[in-house]
Amino acid sequence: MSIEASGSYSLIGRFIYCCFLSVSIVMVLIDLMTSKESRWSSSKSVLSIVGDQKPYSCYQCSKCSSGCLSAELLELMPHQVVSMIKLGFLDEVISSDIIWLCAYCLKCVERCPQNVAPAEAILALRNIAFEKGVKTPEGYRLILENVFETGWIQSFQPVISRDGEIYVRDDLDLPKKPEISNMDSFREALAKTLGEES
Amino acid sequence: MHLTYGFYPGCVILTEQYAYEIAARNVLPLLDVKLVDLNNISCCGEPLMSMNKTTWLYLAARNMAIAERNGLDVVCLCNACYLSFSKAKKLLKEDLGLLEKINSILSIEGLKYTGESRVKHLVEVLHDDVGVDRIREKIRFKLAGLKLASYTGCHLLRPSSIVKVDDPENPSKLNRLVEALEASSPHYPEELECCGAGLLIPKPDGGLSYASTQLKAVFNRGFDGVVTVCPACHKMLDGKQAAINQTLGLNVELPVIYYIQLLGLAMGLSVRDVGLHLNQSPCDKLVAKVRWNG
Repeated sequence: MSIEASGSYSLIGRFIYCCFLSVSIVMVLIDLMTSKESRWSSSKSVLSIVGDQKPYSCYQCSKCSSGCLSAELLELMPHQVVSMIKLGFLDEVISSDIIWLCAYCLKCVERCPQNVAPAEAILALRNIAFEKGVKTPEGYRLILENVFETGWIQSFQPVISRDGEIYVRDDLDLPKKPEISNMDSFREALAKTLGEES
Repeated sequence: MHLTYGFYPGCVILTEQYAYEIAARNVLPLLDVKLVDLNNISCCGEPLMSMNKTTWLYLAARNMAIAERNGLDVVCLCNACYLSFSKAKKLLKEDLGLLEKINSILSIEGLKYTGESRVKHLVEVLHDDVGVDRIREKIRFKLAGLKLASYTGCHLLRPSSIVKVDDPENPSKLNRLVEALEASSPHYPEELECCGAGLLIPKPDGGLSYASTQLKAVFNRGFDGVVTVCPACHKMLDGKQAAINQTLGLNVELPVIYYIQLLGLAMGLSVRDVGLHLNQSPCDKLVAKVRWNG
C-alpha cells in the first residue's frame, strides 16, 4: 500500500517537474533596464573555457566580492558577474568594462566555498570578447603583436639607474637575449592557436 | 650538493627588470645552484590567458617542452610565469584531448610536451632545496636591526589547488628566508593583498591605486623596506613608487628590494653585483642602515 502511494506521489512529482521543465524552457529573463533577453545557450561557451569550476554551483554568498580589491573599481562584484553568466546575460558583461578590471589576484578562486572560480570565469569572458572582436584593451593587442614579432611581450627597454645613468641590456654584463630558433614555424604555430591559417 | 636548473627569467625580467637577473646570475652559483640558459624560449603565455586559452597553453607548453628536451627542471624568477606553467601542467595532465591538440601544434616546431620537467620558483629553490640553514652559513654580514616586509605575491600562493609553494592564507617561507639574514620579518595585515600589476594593461590607474594601498600600509607600519620575489610586484612598488607619490600626493619613501639582491649583499657582493643601482626606490637608505663591517 505504502509502495503504491509513494509510487503515485512520485508520478505526481514527475508531472509537476515536467511542467516546470517545459515552463523553464520557454521562460526568458528580460533585463527591464535594457529590454534585452537572456540567452541560456551562450553560457555554454564560458563553461567550455572554465572547465570544472562551474559558475552554476555558485549560491551567491559573495565571499569572493568581500575580498576583492577591485570591488572599489568594479561596477559589478565578482559574484554578480558569475550571476550574469548563470542567467545568460553574456553579451552584456562582455561588452562592459567590468571584465577588464580584474587584477587576477585569485583570492576569489582560493576562497570560494563552492569551487567556483570567478576570476577564471572572467578570463573566459575576456576570451569570448576577444574572439568576437568586442573591445579588447589596446595593451593586450600590443602584447599579442609583440609575441608574434619577437616571442616576448615587449621590446628590450632602456632603464635609468638611481644616479641617472641610462642602461640598455647589452651594457649590463648579461648574456645575449634568447632568440627563437625558427621564427616562421613559431608564427605558424601561434596563428594556428588563434584559429588562423598563416 | 649541486643543483642544476634550466633558467627561465620571463619577459618582464629579460626586457626591463634587469636587476633581478643580474642578482640571480651572480648569487645562485655561490649557493651551488647552476643555471643553464635555455635557447629558443619565449613568453610564458600568462598575459595571453586574457585573449585566447589555446595560445596561452601553447606558449606555456612550448617552454616546458624546450626544458624537457634539455632534460632540465625549470626555475622561474617571476610569479606570473610560475603560475602560467603550473596551471598549464595541471590542465595538460588532466585533459588528454587538450594535450593532444597542443602537441599537434607544437609539432610544427618539432617540439613535444610530456610533462617530465618540474617547475620551481626561486623561493622554493632557496627555501626547500638550498635551505635556510645553508643560507645562514653563507652570509658574511648580518642585517640585524632591519625590519622588512616580506611580500610573496599572489601567484606563489593562489590558487592552492595549482601552486603549492606556501600556505595560501599564512605564508612564511619568504619570512624565514629574510630572517636567515638576521633581519626581522613580522607578518602584517596587507601581506596577502595584490600589487595591482595585473591591471597595468587594462586599467593602469586602478593598478596604481592597488600598489599605493600596499605602499602606504607598509610605510605607515614602520618597515624599513619591502622584500619582493616577483618582477611584477617589484615594478609596481619600486618602479612606480615615484609616479604613485606624484599622482596621489603621497610622500612614501620606501626601499623595495628583491630578496636575491638582499641575500647577495649579505653574502658580501657589491651594490653593482646585485644590480641595486637599478632599483628606483631609495635603497641607499636601506644599505645605510646595515653595519657592513661584520
